[in-house]
Amino acid sequence: MPDSFSSPVTRRDFLSTSAKLGAFIAAAPYIARGAEVVAKSDQLNVALIGCGEQGRILTNAALKIPGIRFKAVVDIWGYNRTYAERLLKKFGHDPKPYEDYRQMLAEVTDLDAVIIATPDFKHAEHTVAALKAGKHVYCEKLMSNTVEGARSMVLAARETKKLLQIGHQRRSNPRYRHAKDRIHLEGRLLGRITNIAGQWHRAVTDDFGFPNGQGIPEAKLNQYGFANMHEFRNWRWFKRYAGGPMSDLGAHQIDVYNWMLGSNPTMCIASGGVDYYKTHEWYDNAIAIFEFPTKEGTVRATYEVLTTTSAGGGYHEYFMGDEGALKISENPKYTKLYREARAPEWDKWVTKGIVASPTSGEGAPAPVKPWEKVGVKKLGGPSKAGTVDVRETAALSAWDIPVTLDKAIHQPHLENFFDAIRLGTPLNCPGESAFATAVTILKINESIAAGKKLTFAPTDFVA
Amino acid sequence: MKFPEFAEFQHEAMATRFALIIADQSPDYARQAATACFRELERLESELSRYVESSDIARANRLNLGETIVIGEDALHCLLLAADASLATDRAFDAAYASERSPAQPADAPLFTLDPLTHTLTSHTARLHLDLGAIGKGYALDRLAAVLTDWAITRACLHGGGSSVLALDPPTGQSGWPISIGEDPHQRILLLTRCALSGSGLAVQGEHLVDPRAQTTAQRRERTWALAPGAGLSDALSTAFFVFSDAEVAAFCATHPHVGAALAGADGKLMTHGALTARLD
Repeated sequence: MPDSFSSPVTRRDFLSTSAKLGAFIAAAPYIARGAEVVAKSDQLNVALIGCGEQGRILTNAALKIPGIRFKAVVDIWGYNRTYAERLLKKFGHDPKPYEDYRQMLAEVTDLDAVIIATPDFKHAEHTVAALKAGKHVYCEKLMSNTVEGARSMVLAARETKKLLQIGHQRRSNPRYRHAKDRIHLEGRLLGRITNIAGQWHRAVTDDFGFPNGQGIPEAKLNQYGFANMHEFRNWRWFKRYAGGPMSDLGAHQIDVYNWMLGSNPTMCIASGGVDYYKTHEWYDNAIAIFEFPTKEGTVRATYEVLTTTSAGGGYHEYFMGDEGALKISENPKYTKLYREARAPEWDKWVTKGIVASPTSGEGAPAPVKPWEKVGVKKLGGPSKAGTVDVRETAALSAWDIPVTLDKAIHQPHLENFFDAIRLGTPLNCPGESAFATAVTILKINESIAAGKKLTFAPTDFVA
Repeated sequence: MKFPEFAEFQHEAMATRFALIIADQSPDYARQAATACFRELERLESELSRYVESSDIARANRLNLGETIVIGEDALHCLLLAADASLATDRAFDAAYASERSPAQPADAPLFTLDPLTHTLTSHTARLHLDLGAIGKGYALDRLAAVLTDWAITRACLHGGGSSVLALDPPTGQSGWPISIGEDPHQRILLLTRCALSGSGLAVQGEHLVDPRAQTTAQRRERTWALAPGAGLSDALSTAFFVFSDAEVAAFCATHPHVGAALAGADGKLMTHGALTARLD
């Protein structure tokens, strides 16, 4: 029996000896039947339409949820379809592969739900067809690259009485939910929110290619709505397929603006352009300004998506109020809470588990050196009563959110979708709500194209 | 068509810099393949890094005694390889060395078990602490090589942070990828083909190498290198060799013919064992 140390070296597999389970006889003490984590009851049968990068992310997250069984995978590109099929088989699933989603919906009759991770311009077509076939749908954001497409999805869900969840996964992230429900709404720790600033800064990336011999014939690409292989592989950058970085990245974050405020903007003005890349149609850098109406007054917001630099602090949404500020991101290293000096102390919120004193990083006490005595104030410390100690402006006190995302990033949002099917749990991002975000995003691009400020009525956000 | 001799691409991940050197391909095609590799590298980091909150390894490190989680394909395979290396080296390499072991647990009892059928990991300690720092970069190189294979690129050399190198087929007309080990005047050049070489030492991170068997800092001060069929394995073995005594390294190589070792002495001279001896002679 070969093992990792002596397996015959062949070009194909010498680098992946670990991939052969038979190779791990030597590791037998580490192999044991795990506790049953997959419930046999309540199994949900699902199909995946769109097996590219995002489809793989959703598949890997869904595989960690008990009771989900993949019955089919659909992709017009055999390379992606085979990858998904092989991955699922390693987890004991036996999905049927399809090139055409219509054939899949006609033949796989025992599906409960369909997960859609295709290019944006196909979302409406695929979602409406799946809903009308009687399946619940989880569809990736942006809901559609057109308002009409997004509206058709909402109407189809209403008509079929099937569930439609859109993949704005931050709405199910426990840290985001804690921030909205406990910190903002319950504790009111931000006071009145007056401003929001958000950003996603990403370094330059190269276009995607494809392995020799794996190209799709142009006639087939045309049949499915793509011009050529370059546009198929880089569809996010072309206007006929998607909405560009504002849609790919900004949609996640501007959705959080709407969701956190419980409001949609009344005004947007934006600037952007194809400043850098030579082979793209969509704006590579774009900056937008919004006004949101809230019960407490206007919230002014900015958002910028830059795809030519990683400088400037990554990606986050920063909600700023008169008593505190919340900087939040899917990445915990960009997440922090700040208390304004005028706000009441937050000690009671620490006791309640709403906020936490940082133990490391920004806001944490400086480490005490072995030669320092704890409790002895160092030179320049706080002033004594009756004297004024002058120094640079004190930094806002920094705090942490005591919540850990203990799952794959997309897992809670998928779980919410499956719980809605099984238990009737309310969806965290139903089509109606995501429609408002889709309109907001599409209007930003419209504002850039028109070079002018756009104003909105509340009815613009209703499907 | 004649292409430039090499195309080199770099990417930062896993707290270091990875590089791909691709030979005998058009620059555009090589760049596209490198882009695919680096996307895969970012995905691997998100699954394997203990510093990424939602990674499988970070999730495993939050388990209580007896708890089980489903893990992804790569975490499973990397941990299986780690388990294999740990057993073969009598825990001179141990990805769980920093875990807390209860007094009742035998010293050689695994602190985690894996079920390949259900892709699950179960913790057998109240404080599991998995750290793939001494195997993850090598494992990633193996996976990137698989991506290159998909792209029908066979002539390439990959390295992660300079501590692990994975040589595929050499450029046309060459007999191997030149890799140097050791310091002048004892530096030696190897020509590697379809194998991996990793090094361990104290120069970069100081006294960071722990002997998992004694739970103390490893005694060795000079560098070690391991040659193996794959980079995940060479990465783990270079750490094990740093922990091993010279005699243990020699004995290990004698029983594993595809593995080689080089040990630097205090004077800088290199002592070689197993498959590495033939390559340096």
